[in-house]
Amino acid sequence: MNALQHLAQEELRHVTRRHFLRESAFGLGSLWLGANSLSAATNETITRDAANPLEPLSPKFAPKAKRIIFLHMAGAPSQVELFDYKPVLQKYNGKDCPAEYLAGQRFAFIQGVPQLLGPQYPFKQHGQSGAWISDRLPSLYKHADKLCIINSMVTDQFNHAPAKLMMHTGHANLGYPSMGAWLTWGLGTENQNLPGYMVLLSGGRPPRAGAALWSTGFLPTVYQGVQCRSGPDPILNAANPPGLTRDIRRAALDSLQRLNHRTHEEIGDPETVTRISQYEMAYRMQVSVPEIMTIKDEPAPVLEMYGANPGQTSFANNCLLARKLAENGVRYIQLFDWGWDTHGSNAQESLTTGFVKKCNDIDKAIGALLSDLEMRGMLEDTLVVWGGEFGRTPMQENRGGGTANKFVGRDHNPNAFTVWMAGGGVKPGITYGETDELGYRVAKDPVHVRDFHATVLNLFGFDHQKLTFPFQGLNQKLTGVKPAKVIKGLLA
Amino acid sequence: MKGVEKTTTQPQYAVNPVSKFLLHFLLIATPALGEVDFSREIRPLLNKHCTACHGGVKEAGEVSFIYRDRALGKGESGKPVIVPGDPEASEMMARILSTDPDEIMPKPEHGPPLAKEEVELLRQWIKEGAKWGEHWSFVAPQNHPLPVVKQADWPKRDLDRFILARLEKEKLRPSKPAAPEAWLRRASLDLIGLPPTVDELDAFQKAAAINIDAAIDAETDRLLASPRFGERWTSVWQDLARYADTNGYADDARRQVWKYRDWLIDAFNRDLPFDQFTIEQVAGDLIPDATLEQRIAPTFHRLSQINSEGGTDDEEFRVVAVMDRMNTTWETWMGVSFGCVQCHSHPYDPIRHEEYFTFMEFFNQTVDADLQEDLPKLSVPQDKGRYAEANALQKEIVASENSLHVIRKSIDSQTTWTPPAEMHAAAKRAKLTVHREAGIPEFRADANAAASAEYTLTLTPSGPNLTALRLELLPRDPKVAAHTPEWGSIINKLRLDLIDPSGKAENVAIHEVIADEPHPLIDPNGSINGKSQGWGAYTKISAARHATFVLNDSLSIPAGFKLRVTIQNGGMYLASFPMVAKRGRVFLTDQPDWINHRNQPGVIADKMRIAEAKNKLRAIPSTTVPQMAELDAGHRRATHVFVRGNWLDKGQAIPEANTPGLFPPLEKSGVRATRLDLARWIASPRNPLTSRVAVNRLWLELFGTGIVPTPEDFGSAGESPTHPELLDHLALRFSGEMKWSVKSMLRELVSSAAYRQDSAVSAELAERDADNRLLARGPRQRLTAEMMRDQALTASGLISHRIGGEPIHPPLPPGVWQPFVKDTWNTPPPGDPQRYRRAVYVYFKRGLQYPLFGSFDAPPRDMCSKRRLVSNTPLHALTILNDEAFHEAAIALSKRMNAAAGSLDQRIAFGYRIITSRAITPDRAKELRELHQRLVPQYTAAPDEMKKLGATPEDAALAVLASVLLNLDESFTR
Repeated sequence: MNALQHLAQEELRHVTRRHFLRESAFGLGSLWLGANSLSAATNETITRDAANPLEPLSPKFAPKAKRIIFLHMAGAPSQVELFDYKPVLQKYNGKDCPAEYLAGQRFAFIQGVPQLLGPQYPFKQHGQSGAWISDRLPSLYKHADKLCIINSMVTDQFNHAPAKLMMHTGHANLGYPSMGAWLTWGLGTENQNLPGYMVLLSGGRPPRAGAALWSTGFLPTVYQGVQCRSGPDPILNAANPPGLTRDIRRAALDSLQRLNHRTHEEIGDPETVTRISQYEMAYRMQVSVPEIMTIKDEPAPVLEMYGANPGQTSFANNCLLARKLAENGVRYIQLFDWGWDTHGSNAQESLTTGFVKKCNDIDKAIGALLSDLEMRGMLEDTLVVWGGEFGRTPMQENRGGGTANKFVGRDHNPNAFTVWMAGGGVKPGITYGETDELGYRVAKDPVHVRDFHATVLNLFGFDHQKLTFPFQGLNQKLTGVKPAKVIKGLLA
Repeated sequence: MKGVEKTTTQPQYAVNPVSKFLLHFLLIATPALGEVDFSREIRPLLNKHCTACHGGVKEAGEVSFIYRDRALGKGESGKPVIVPGDPEASEMMARILSTDPDEIMPKPEHGPPLAKEEVELLRQWIKEGAKWGEHWSFVAPQNHPLPVVKQADWPKRDLDRFILARLEKEKLRPSKPAAPEAWLRRASLDLIGLPPTVDELDAFQKAAAINIDAAIDAETDRLLASPRFGERWTSVWQDLARYADTNGYADDARRQVWKYRDWLIDAFNRDLPFDQFTIEQVAGDLIPDATLEQRIAPTFHRLSQINSEGGTDDEEFRVVAVMDRMNTTWETWMGVSFGCVQCHSHPYDPIRHEEYFTFMEFFNQTVDADLQEDLPKLSVPQDKGRYAEANALQKEIVASENSLHVIRKSIDSQTTWTPPAEMHAAAKRAKLTVHREAGIPEFRADANAAASAEYTLTLTPSGPNLTALRLELLPRDPKVAAHTPEWGSIINKLRLDLIDPSGKAENVAIHEVIADEPHPLIDPNGSINGKSQGWGAYTKISAARHATFVLNDSLSIPAGFKLRVTIQNGGMYLASFPMVAKRGRVFLTDQPDWINHRNQPGVIADKMRIAEAKNKLRAIPSTTVPQMAELDAGHRRATHVFVRGNWLDKGQAIPEANTPGLFPPLEKSGVRATRLDLARWIASPRNPLTSRVAVNRLWLELFGTGIVPTPEDFGSAGESPTHPELLDHLALRFSGEMKWSVKSMLRELVSSAAYRQDSAVSAELAERDADNRLLARGPRQRLTAEMMRDQALTASGLISHRIGGEPIHPPLPPGVWQPFVKDTWNTPPPGDPQRYRRAVYVYFKRGLQYPLFGSFDAPPRDMCSKRRLVSNTPLHALTILNDEAFHEAAIALSKRMNAAAGSLDQRIAFGYRIITSRAITPDRAKELRELHQRLVPQYTAAPDEMKKLGATPEDAALAVLASVLLNLDESFTR
């Protein structure tokens, strides 16, 4: 083969792979599940062909969002330093926290009477909308008019693992399906060569509660989030073992498939046919997943825009990967970035050192992601969500008693926190809800995590009351049994 | 049923509308005669149309259909809902038949109106007196006569008559018997989790040719006697027990629980009767004269999770663990979801909200309290041969500690404790103030007291002599703490000084610290001997606690001298909570008894016994398991109803534990109902659920679907049994003639004609009964995650059959191991037998599951899991083709094939038989030979690739063939 032929062949391979990556639902293997008898018995049943459980289904009403990129800042970023501007808190910086804020409250780390701590960074209003955003996010605030900032988020949980579970599964205990599993179950996915629900981690540690955050709970296992890693083996066991080239694998697989067809002729078990197609799907995934999970072929300006560096694991790389996954039909893309738990118990966990670095890590990449999605015309049907599992207190933490930790930090605050959304049918350029003067509790338009879930499901075309699955004698819902409502004010 | 047109009648029991399958068979079932049956015909109808609004949770219009007295009462409207014998006077009928959109039930937005037949059924039922009846599974199983069948030579066991009768009714014929080797593969994997070896196949096929029934009986006995049996069934039970080697939640740290797994393996192997198996796990610790094995068994309950994330409340997660134990007990043994009753009455089944908390009292009195150290722990010798010795020593310690406690309580009751005339308090890193309550001075710390706070209490003694000092710690708010405890404290160090009028201090030696309980978790003497932890209310305080600090010698206090008590508090717990005394008092005595008691012969003897027993125990190499231990009588918790399930909102107090009124009453063995009484209640043949749930589980494992297809729900929202009489028949025989022997029941099942059938699916059966609920063919199940590993290890000859012991760590794909807190996964090198042990021994980390388990449907074991849904996904292919452990097995299998005598064809046939348990067919042999022929030149041309698999191109090609064999559909199934 001469060099020219070689190039031509490479080109062809590239094109077919592209085509292959975009290939949509059909003919590519089906997955059988023994979960038939568990299909929901409600008015709006999700009826899944067990032979093809990831096949795209239409939502129950017209959706605004078709896919989601959920950026979770694991550890809970301080809204007081980023989005919820509190000049009054500044004024009372260093004063004892008023007793009425402490009565009946349970804290994770604060003891006795803590002192108030003013915002550590200057705020300004940005864009036409005049959204208050601090100077820590200079790339993001240029997109202020795309953002739908909710300053009035509320949760029930004030410890990380239960609160993260609450944020992703609607329940503080383990064992419930994540929102990604619900949506993948309800909608399937548009690319049968990739998992419908993918999870990317950065920050050096997995989030607390780990895989339970992308769990399938009692839904069939096929709807579980697939954690992808950087490096040559982005999903487990994608690489052939030593000594088995792809050609040899193909030859062996051809024999295996013929032998299995023979077995099917003898026994007639439909599972065998499914297994044959799953082996083909696996063979394709061995190429499709590593290919999509690399950014080394991205043009230099794109890498520069995100601040991404091929070969590393970083939030910026994950943002770029998230865009690629979104482009290729992955339904639910979940990012976790660890390291936002700014208690002030050490420098890394302080608002003056570690927090500054974390903001730098994410700002450029998120700005780039929003620009990139907009440029590609994808922002309108891609929902981008940013937030943590709870907020932080307006008081300075004083774990172990005394008045303050050695470094500047804040404790967990379930009573108020900030989540922002963009694209995918949310109202752009608004700031929703308000907290009290100190930023401790919600004063106006609270959005409970359950309401947030109801709203996201609504954007995807589902009534949260009707997306149910029977388990343990109950028609289980993402929003659980307590009241939840769609927040109309957030919808475009 | 005069004048009533019933177009459909359910076969036996309630039919859940969810099941497609049952609806299909519904139409061809024969009509029942006689009165309308409430539980079979009316309850399902109410559940379908009414109870969502008029049930145990919501009682819209004050109407509920869960209990008869409520249904016969009046709703909000004042009209009687149901009038027995008079449908026309029953508001229920009026509303169902109404044409007014504001009146009609169900409301149009809630659901479709009742079908005509359903309305008539209801009318007839009311006319007949609206007789209530309990759901089938809440009523004791009944003896049913064996059905008469036409094909009388088919049944091998009584159970077959029930299967066949149903098939004959459906006009279906059973399948032919499976080939002997197919039965052996199925039975071997089902019973011991491993495929048969070639020798076993040879021997069995020879015996089967002479007398198949005798051969099956003999082979079944062999399999049931194999030590591998316990390993297989332990992996089934572990899903129910939510067994994991880690604590769960955020930190998910490693803990030692594997001795409980060993107990399970042993219990299955010795066929511990299921009732005893139940009693020991639920309450083995309370059995009089319990053996160490019986004390290990309740680790079942301690497998609930622990939350050691910084800032988490121990009491909150203790309560979560207690509720998990209750729910797990119900789900495991009785197949009833109980968790929903935490917040409200059961939505479908007649279990009331309060009954949840009376049941909670059984579990609410153990010492464990979500402590990060997993305390209390039971020390267990590594060597089972020393269990009895260790048990005797531990009991000696307990007895001697009890004896000491009795002596000291008696002294205490005769001691006059006098408060100091005056107390002055000062502190470093805290603010202390002195208050007087009823004339007694006490110190109180401010809320910001730091973890390292040091207190100085200066006392003006009320008498001239001192022999002992009592430190009493109090909750800040005793009323609330009585039901919702406060954070407690640890006294790391307590120092006593005598202060002369000039302020000069002289240290006063303290001999010992005596706690107010017989078996403190932490040695109280740590407070005086420089250990890092000492006496305290750890980690929570719910009522006044005290310790007695006994002086070395009686101290005479000259006039004008004072005493100074210096207390060093105990640091921070969970990176968050200062273990600081918040409120306390000091009392003094000059009575000589405290000093003198140490010289009593009884006390000396007790202390010596304790010290000796501890020394002997230390010399036994041991591990631990978390232990169920009841609180001592003086420190029991108050159990309350949680209002709407909220643990912080306490309602009425629960005086005593009890079981729900729906079931046969609890029999108490003593004054107060105990967990042991509960265990016996569960394991009683009078319990309508236990035996049914147990046999259903064995059936599910062997046939792929339970007789009750929803093993997780035997309540009225679950599916009805496909063969209700068969379920009763098996349940009664299991608890009766079989004396709860699991092995006897399994012997019955695997030797039945139903199990022995060929599993080929004819077109007719695919159409009529795709899910094989009627068993017109044999079961064909995919191997479990555990079986996939164990089969590959067996086929390759790599497997190492050491029974029991610590978790093992097989190779992991790169990038998997990212534990949140430090935890190491050290894989032994190739060749080390520890690398090749069965899946049941693989380290089970809840948050980071061994990938094979996740891909092949093993639950993460966060909570009790009653069945595995069986998937068929590309991850299976990636795992068995590429995972290091399976690749290693493939190479080893190819070496075994190579070592076998004969031609290439014979080697291929040998490998095929090892992995699939059957003889190869010519077309398959040809396919594999041709693959080999295609691969040899490829490896010849690529020697570098070749070397990674074998020494020659032929060897490398054979390794690829071995991998193909491991991936065959026949290798995946049994």
